[in-house]
Amino acid sequence: MLQTKLRPLPPAAYARCMAGIIRREGLRWVHQRGRFVSALVRPLVWLAIFAAGFRFVLGVSIIPPYETYIPYEVYIAPGLIAMIELFNGMQSSLSMVYDREMGSMKTLMVSPFPRWFLLLSKLLAGVAVAVVQSYIFLGIAWFWEIEPPAIGYLAVLPALILSGLMLGALGLVMSSFIRQLENFAGVMNFVIFPMFFASSALYPLWRVKESSLFLWWVCQLNPFTSATELIRFALYGRVDWMSAAVVIGCTVVFMAAAVAGYDPGRGLMARKAGAE
Amino acid sequence: MHEPAAALEIDGLTHRFGARRALDAVGFRIRPGEFTVLLGQNGAGKTTLFALITRLYHAHQGGIAVFGQPFRDAPSAALARMGVVFQQPTLDLDLTVQQNLQYHAALHGIAGHTAAPRIRDELARVNLGERAGDRVRLLSGGQRRRVELARALLHEPSLLLLDEPTAGLDMESRGFLLNHVRRLCRERGLAVLWATHLIDEAGEDAHVVVLHKGRVLATGPVPAVVAQAGGAQTLKDAFEHLTHAAN
Amino acid sequence: MQTVRLAPALLGAALLAAPAARAERLFVSNEKDNTVTVLDGQTLAVTATVKVGDRPRGIVASPDGGSVYICTSDSDHVEMLDTKTLTVTRILSSGPDPELMTLSPDGQTLYVANENDNMVSVVDVKAGRVMTEIPVGVEPEGMGVSPDGRVLVNTSETTSMAHFIDTGTQQSIANVLVGSRPRVARFTADGKQVWVSAEVGGTVSVIDTASHTVVHTVSFAIPGVPAESIQPVGIAITPDAKTAFVALGPANRIAAVDAKTYEVRKYLLVGQRVWNLAFSLDGKRLYTTNGVSNDLSVIDVDGLRVVKSVPVGQLPWGVAVVP
Repeated sequence: MLQTKLRPLPPAAYARCMAGIIRREGLRWVHQRGRFVSALVRPLVWLAIFAAGFRFVLGVSIIPPYETYIPYEVYIAPGLIAMIELFNGMQSSLSMVYDREMGSMKTLMVSPFPRWFLLLSKLLAGVAVAVVQSYIFLGIAWFWEIEPPAIGYLAVLPALILSGLMLGALGLVMSSFIRQLENFAGVMNFVIFPMFFASSALYPLWRVKESSLFLWWVCQLNPFTSATELIRFALYGRVDWMSAAVVIGCTVVFMAAAVAGYDPGRGLMARKAGAE
Repeated sequence: MHEPAAALEIDGLTHRFGARRALDAVGFRIRPGEFTVLLGQNGAGKTTLFALITRLYHAHQGGIAVFGQPFRDAPSAALARMGVVFQQPTLDLDLTVQQNLQYHAALHGIAGHTAAPRIRDELARVNLGERAGDRVRLLSGGQRRRVELARALLHEPSLLLLDEPTAGLDMESRGFLLNHVRRLCRERGLAVLWATHLIDEAGEDAHVVVLHKGRVLATGPVPAVVAQAGGAQTLKDAFEHLTHAAN
Repeated sequence: MQTVRLAPALLGAALLAAPAARAERLFVSNEKDNTVTVLDGQTLAVTATVKVGDRPRGIVASPDGGSVYICTSDSDHVEMLDTKTLTVTRILSSGPDPELMTLSPDGQTLYVANENDNMVSVVDVKAGRVMTEIPVGVEPEGMGVSPDGRVLVNTSETTSMAHFIDTGTQQSIANVLVGSRPRVARFTADGKQVWVSAEVGGTVSVIDTASHTVVHTVSFAIPGVPAESIQPVGIAITPDAKTAFVALGPANRIAAVDAKTYEVRKYLLVGQRVWNLAFSLDGKRLYTTNGVSNDLSVIDVDGLRVVKSVPVGQLPWGVAVVP
């Protein structure tokens, strides 16, 4: 009964591994009720408060994909969804750092499956959670008169998955070089808020361009803008190809960086001056 | 066919952390059915060695072979045959014992229906059968260690690695764990590497590898090692003699 | 527009019903650039821009849809635009500075408010001449005629009154006090009520035509919009008298008012400074002219949603719909 012969891992086994990782992330998410609530409360609070305060930011233009004037809540909805995914990516990142400190990362790392596959599974687990959260947000946002066409609710799914992958992969990269839990908050602040505010999430870019060309460039280059626009157009049944390309490109880059970061040859584990 | 390969063969393994040399030309061999104690004080390099064997770090210098297969060639196959109990607890505290074990089974590609009876059996063997539905947080240190041991055996490995598994446990738990693992060795032909600083955990019939400041000072069955350290009667004396001489 | 195609069975129920072929044309008077923009009702594309007289404001369609009458205020006359040839075929005299007008249901008589000389001019359409002038309050503006053609309502801005005039005798029947600076008067399809908007007052007075009393005053409140911005102007009431739509000027919104309970059901965001509005021929769409943003917004009446906004000429004032 003992294994002494070399046996390649069948594809079914890969599927089981991925399912197991996703299940474990799901269980942890469900157990941490605080995370669940705050993940929803946060964008809803922003929706209520920002929309109330920034009503007159929008200005006169009709912005595509919208065909008429829209209330501010409708405009910021895609940005808030992207924010859910960004926070989710950061949360997954935090969990990875926590796992590393608490030791449960080792359970993952001694799995015989290739490391890139394990990381990808973790990523997909995070994306699954983010997508669920996003749909719940959309459901509640309906009461704020954020009513995209029915097609939008389906068309937005690929956009949610792609954006979730990109922002989750960003989280993975970050977790590979943040060594301690305490450092996490600082790095997060340097990532989350600049990404969110220097984007088209809260204001249309033509407005930013009016006040500062430099800032406009930053917003244009910010992958979060692409994620937001991808979601915005998808909610109205349209594809923003440019944004999709940027999101996919960044996902690949971030993922590659994450796999490199977690590589046992050079990665996080090696640099930690071991317990012995 | 050739003779059965060593379960684990380490050859000339050297590892540095910056300027500090954590392991220096370490080499030893473990055969199936052998209970080998890796004996060393804290800071000797036991955990580093484990990290290299379990691919947490890359081995830059020297070779590790598992059942005749060099690690570098097929790390995945090697890991599939190893069960590991780390020094640091690695269970998810908020999940139940069952969920932790299921997670491990999935990480080794084992289907749910195959894993379920194994989980039952292994938990029963460590006398924790009725605690399967409890959150790990609710278990004592000794119980958690037993769960980790059960978990490490789920995928039916041929090589079992344990790093200071009895650290922080009471006498009774320590005894239970030791006996249990030795029995596994005998009954299943498992190759076991048990790292510890507690000399009394190596019984008379064990093999021992003495590790001191990253170097192997002696290796072999306990009586042979005792004899090697001239004038020593017990393993404890032998250990002290060898490490003294090395300093 | 690229849309994701999905099995109709899946989304048939959820999707909005596909728009019925809408064979109608919209004529929009553009106050600033002296033109009338013609749009196709189905595609909402601009099919023509017709040059007319100076400062075109009030715009009304003849019952058969063959022509559209436009008050070209600065030219001091009313122009008749043939909707087929898209040329101005006749000029009707109207008294000085005509702003707003209303057409009798039989299409024979035009009642024009002459803002500056406190008169309502009664114009015979066939003759093209002013037949009589009815003296009214100071600064007459709003004009509404009952569905049976017998009662004319004219509002005077300065005195804040709605004057009920018998069209036969051309005598004043009653004068009703409404909100400050009344702009538009609209009869319901059954002739039982007249809704009068008050721009400065910020209200809409609902007057019972039998008793000539105000039965209700509808007021508006939009969170985040200052009360001064809420200036009700244009009114359009559904033929089944269930909903009344009120254009709220610089508040940039249309209020959908439940005509039975007088409660505002919803505020719909449209372009800037929405002035007037008109239903499509089938009553399913509502078109609004947004003066400052120079566009026309299209509202789905049943779903109470703004569907689209399309650019038209400069400072669009009002819209008329013809088949």
